[in-house]
Amino acid sequence: MSLREPAWRVTARELESSLEEEKGEGERAASYLLSPFAARMNRVLLAGTLSPAESIGRDEAQAFWRARLSDPTGAVAVTAGSFQPRAMAQLRASSAPRPAIVVGKVHLFRGRDAVVYVSVRAEGVRSVAEAEERAALADIVRQTLDRLDLMERVEKEPALSEETLRKEGIPLAWVRAAKESLRRYPNVDRPAFRRELANAVRRVAGESGPSRATLPTPPTVVVTRAAPPRPPSPAPSAAERAEESLFLDQLDEVADVSADGYADLKEVLSRVSAHGLAGERAEVILNRLEEDGAIEEPIVGKLRRA
Amino acid sequence: MTGEPTPTTPVETRLRDLRPEVSPVELVARVVTFERRDVTRRSDGSRRPLLSGLLSDGTATVRFTWWDPPREGIERGLVLRAVGAEVREFRGRPEVTFSWKTRVGPASPAELPRVDANDVPFRTVGELRPSDEGFRVEVRVVRIALKSVTVGTERRVIHEGLVADRTGAIALSAWSDFGLNVGEAVRVAGGYVRGFRGRPQLVLDERSTVVRVEGSDLPDPASLLAAPPRSIAEVEDEGGGEAIAVEGVVVGLLPPSGLVFRCPTCQRSVRSGICRVHGQVNGQADLRARIVLDDGTGALTVNANRADTERLWGVTLEEAQARLRNQPDPSLLEEQLLETLLGRRLRVRGVGTNDDFGVTLAPESIERVDIDLDAAAEELTARLGERRG
Repeated sequence: MSLREPAWRVTARELESSLEEEKGEGERAASYLLSPFAARMNRVLLAGTLSPAESIGRDEAQAFWRARLSDPTGAVAVTAGSFQPRAMAQLRASSAPRPAIVVGKVHLFRGRDAVVYVSVRAEGVRSVAEAEERAALADIVRQTLDRLDLMERVEKEPALSEETLRKEGIPLAWVRAAKESLRRYPNVDRPAFRRELANAVRRVAGESGPSRATLPTPPTVVVTRAAPPRPPSPAPSAAERAEESLFLDQLDEVADVSADGYADLKEVLSRVSAHGLAGERAEVILNRLEEDGAIEEPIVGKLRRA
Repeated sequence: MTGEPTPTTPVETRLRDLRPEVSPVELVARVVTFERRDVTRRSDGSRRPLLSGLLSDGTATVRFTWWDPPREGIERGLVLRAVGAEVREFRGRPEVTFSWKTRVGPASPAELPRVDANDVPFRTVGELRPSDEGFRVEVRVVRIALKSVTVGTERRVIHEGLVADRTGAIALSAWSDFGLNVGEAVRVAGGYVRGFRGRPQLVLDERSTVVRVEGSDLPDPASLLAAPPRSIAEVEDEGGGEAIAVEGVVVGLLPPSGLVFRCPTCQRSVRSGICRVHGQVNGQADLRARIVLDDGTGALTVNANRADTERLWGVTLEEAQARLRNQPDPSLLEEQLLETLLGRRLRVRGVGTNDDFGVTLAPESIERVDIDLDAAAEELTARLGERRG
């Protein structure tokens, strides 16, 4: 589709929690970052306090600058390079933290150990008055709540047709994103996220001051961000324990006979499905074992005991 | 001997009855539009003239292709009788071709099939698609104005406007004066629909009939023109619209924005002193802003004219020109314009047209919207609180 990608209204917290990527296929296809809260983002709009920018370009000719945008829920890196000359000039324009609105493309970098770095490649940056920042934040929170409400409806009534929702004025893209988020982030604590939004609402109401700018990190240090804390999963039941041990047994068997010592993910999945642990259920077990640190996937599609 | 059967009338096929299985046919129809082209033969490189366009007989409109047409004498509105026209189907619609086997001659408009206005089916505005013909609609006149256009060398006055029913609104272009007034409810028969800039347009000519009706179930014009804003996703979905309102935030500007130069003859923008149509011209300065408006569900382009741009920017054309004299770089002006607009909330009403790049809005009004922060905070707190208990 050649239509322009809309700028999803999101908080820094929502961006920080986003891990799932959708790469477009074909030439010049857009890629998307899927958040746990029903945003399928290519472009985003954020509002908050923008820290002074620091140069992170290694090459004089290829300038690259980074600042951090903090809102009441979190902070996210905002970058601009020589391909975004205007945004770069705007990022560099101030040496003090200031309220700002940022429009840009989300960028996801998967580092070693599956650590995910989300940043926003700025297309437009503008310093605004505090009232304007709060108004933009109100828009962001309202649309975020709209998406959360939509997720709840879709979860409660999976049979709800896209057509019915479209007639209510809910964009098709939102409905699809809601379904996809529910599928790809089955264990996300939405009430906790709602509580974080309350901080943003206090800011809209003027009850809290501007978000404190996080200090820019020195350019020699790579900015790392721990993967967002996942809500503690409930203690596994006996049945789930049995499924976990089935998974681990099969993994060991596959690994024992493989040339490189790794167990092929597909093979493990097909073996456990032969034992009655199939599809999504197997994925859930796999994710939990990875989260608990029992197994790891150092190469995509290859598993081993941690 | 019983003799030859007496020829039954009519011998012609109505355009709405054309089927590719029944070919060739005889037909009488009016030329609605046409253009001439040359096609190069692959075998010897010689050129063969071709005329193609639309034919209508009041029951339907079809495309036609005429190989080796007469050099002159064909004009819009001419009624033709074609004997031995071939019927083909292209993309599910019938088309006719006049070849060397077809005899084509002028005919009188009286020979056109009589379409009884009481005999054609009722349609709703929402159902109308380009090249529809032979229908009746009951609509309310929302807007109507005179416009002078040039057809070939002739100047004509047309009545342009907007009509609507409960299912939607459609642009109207009447080539005859039906004495239409805003607010009237009318039953229209004998019109046809053409695609104009990606939007359907209802065209009425001297064959059309207009009858005043009560139309108590038709929307009133004021409510149509003051409809509340809708989501941009919806507007994109419908491919624009005749009277749409949206509200969003400025997320960017498309070139050319800021100070532009226009051809004094055709108003097209001039690049390096050259107009695409009129060549080297002395461009006249103008201000414009091609605003990308985004509401989180979708984005569209708003083409703001000089007055709107001056008002939103707070800089007049003269001031912009003065700035350019001090800083001879037009892109700086565009940057300053964006600097003022980015992130600003606007409500825009106007006509939305659709093309490969999405929806473009020709604005009738652009208003700044200021969010009431206290009310917003109250509403959001309430929404968050709902689920706490």
